[in-house]
Amino acid sequence: MNTPSAIAGAAGGNAQKPLLTVDHLTMRFGGLVAIDDVSFVAGNGKITAIIGPNGAGKTTVFNCLTGFYQPTVGRLALHHPKGDFLLERIEGYRIAQQVNVARTFQNIRLFSRMTVLENLIVAQHNTLMRASGYTFFGLLGLKRYRAAESQALDLARYWLDRVGLIGKADWEAGNLPYGDQRRLEVVRAMCTEPVLLCLDEPAAGLNPRESAGLNDLLAFIRDEHKIGLLLIEHDMSVVMGISDHIVVLDYGRKISDGAPDYVRNDPAVIRAYLGEEEDEELPPLVAEDISEGRQS
Amino acid sequence: MAADDRSGMLKEAGLAALVAFALAFGLVGFKTEDVPGGLAIVLRFGDVAMIAGLAFVGRLALALLRRGRPRPALSMALPFAIVMLILLLAEEVPLPAADWGRFLPFASPVVNWLIFIAAFAIAGRAGWTLWCESAAPGTEERHRIMGRIGARARRTARVLGPIIFVVALVLPLFPFADRRILDIAILVLTYIMLGWGLNIVVGLAGLLDLGYVAFYAVGAYSYALLATYFGLGFWICLPFAGVMAAFAGILLGFPVLRLRGDYLAIVTLGFGEMVRIILLNWYEFTNGPDGISGIPRPTFFGLAFQRTAPEGVETFHSFFGLAYSPIDRIIFLYYLILILALITNLFTLRIRKLPVGRAWEALREDEIASRSLGINPRNTKLTAFAIGAMFAGFGGSFFATRQGFISPESFTFIESAVILSIVVLGGFGSQIGVVLAAVLLIGMPEFFRELHQFRMLAFGAAMVLIMVWRPAGLLAHREPTIRLDGGGRSAAAGQ
Repeated sequence: MNTPSAIAGAAGGNAQKPLLTVDHLTMRFGGLVAIDDVSFVAGNGKITAIIGPNGAGKTTVFNCLTGFYQPTVGRLALHHPKGDFLLERIEGYRIAQQVNVARTFQNIRLFSRMTVLENLIVAQHNTLMRASGYTFFGLLGLKRYRAAESQALDLARYWLDRVGLIGKADWEAGNLPYGDQRRLEVVRAMCTEPVLLCLDEPAAGLNPRESAGLNDLLAFIRDEHKIGLLLIEHDMSVVMGISDHIVVLDYGRKISDGAPDYVRNDPAVIRAYLGEEEDEELPPLVAEDISEGRQS
Repeated sequence: MAADDRSGMLKEAGLAALVAFALAFGLVGFKTEDVPGGLAIVLRFGDVAMIAGLAFVGRLALALLRRGRPRPALSMALPFAIVMLILLLAEEVPLPAADWGRFLPFASPVVNWLIFIAAFAIAGRAGWTLWCESAAPGTEERHRIMGRIGARARRTARVLGPIIFVVALVLPLFPFADRRILDIAILVLTYIMLGWGLNIVVGLAGLLDLGYVAFYAVGAYSYALLATYFGLGFWICLPFAGVMAAFAGILLGFPVLRLRGDYLAIVTLGFGEMVRIILLNWYEFTNGPDGISGIPRPTFFGLAFQRTAPEGVETFHSFFGLAYSPIDRIIFLYYLILILALITNLFTLRIRKLPVGRAWEALREDEIASRSLGINPRNTKLTAFAIGAMFAGFGGSFFATRQGFISPESFTFIESAVILSIVVLGGFGSQIGVVLAAVLLIGMPEFFRELHQFRMLAFGAAMVLIMVWRPAGLLAHREPTIRLDGGGRSAAAGQ
């Protein structure tokens, strides 16, 4: 089994510390072990995919990283430009507020009765809150707040332009088509200006063309904004197309870890996805039937 | 097919008549009346029959409308409405020739007017449908029409606000604005202010608060106690009452942070009752059920509204060299509550466009997503509770100074329910909607005092009608807090 340091060498390639180092992460719910001693690293400017069959514990990893769960055991070290942080010690919402880890959700969670633009402005809550002097200056209508607001608008406009939603900026988010909602959730997370973006099945329910578009968007975020992306995905065209590094989970354990080509041919992964090769254990009669069937 | 249709309609109308009969038989059929020597039961089966008959005819007209036959509905409703109107007007202007009133269905003019309005509404619907030339106004059609009316209402809402504001501003100057009208207006404005305050908590932050009257009580008692114990004036106590109520809001907010929806509603309901019961039982401090009397009236920059001022205080009328008139004080109170309400409104409009206001709405929409964006749910909810409660505190202290007497009686659950209905019927988060709903729900029962104990039926009927016609509230329209070009020009591009 690979050790975390070995993978760091493989993923980063240089002496720089990886963006995220997950060490011996374990999450138990009562007697149920959802994640069992998982370690991996995610590099800066890389897309790290976490894949695995249903119930493998992928979303639980995300919930631990983004403060929704408190891990039972383990260390989640984030190498942030501001310094090193241990995510498991930071209270829920502060993970987004202070160390800039953003996420999206498996079932889209937009503010559906607010407009598309408002969704992106809400994402910049903390910047605007500071600019509005925690509401007091904002109430007085000071120039400083108005400047911050127009800056926030610029950022929102930039991302709306990028995903082609600029014409729908004043739509209620809940009225958008499904694919647009997916993209909006990704750019809403980007508006928090994260260093690590966790995407929980962003391609779920998208048609092939939309998911190709999503690939482009994710590659753009990685290449232009140089942040780390952590991606849970079932759509192998997305995973194999853009991932730099893949971690495979099964029943809460890490079964494989490496570059896409390596993971694709890993017998452990094939076993987890397609089941054991059971030919030898078949009763002789059944084996005979099968071979006869092949002949005829 | 047609015969089938006809029997269906008759069955529907018959069923409505039966229900009306069953309801009216007990409620209207028997009436106790004081006669010499005790109570006598007066039988009013004529009225019962009239009610059942009207229900039959009205339902038949509606059934015709719904089955896409507006012409017979119109021919039924229109003559009826016209006859009713003539009779009603004839009764208003007593003609010497005959007692026209006896042809009216009921003795009470208000009920007769309501029946006329119903008939007129049915006739109007039928006429409208005919005019539109739409043969079958199905659900689709109706939604479309309602949508169009809604869009128009939205446009008028922008004009409506200033109009209502100007009317409210000049209301006391009208000759018909006597003491009664002004008193009702003050009451309505108080509820508008409370509605706007609760709108922050319920409409914006989405925290269902059934105990809002508790903060109203805290504000009222803060002022009353400070005034009676320390002799402080209204203007000093007003901010203090707001602060006390906001503090109570935070006190309530902390334990309910994790609760949502029904659970939150139950706990806030309990909190409202707790405050009332404390006020009732802490006799040494609050004077319990006896209440606090002799609460000082507000002054106009130190000028009292009295005929003869106590020593050291000048009166309003002597300072300005006017003749004393008791209505001066009422007009002053009217403008006072108008200003307080407007402050609440402007504050809400402003804070909606600030990050904290958007965070409230985001929290209402999805708390988990808000947390993932770094919004602190605890502080955000607490500010909503505190600010909402603060305005209730201002309102409460106005209530205390207006009444001059308060007791826990005034702060029962029904008050919270009324304020919440104003917010719900107005349309969550809609400022103008709150005004309309308050006028409807508070003003109307005052005008319908003639109906005595059935007055609250008017309240109930208004609620049912609004919920049937506009389930999301009178003006359920959410204006975006920000637009790309900073103005309202791209509004039409939305849908």
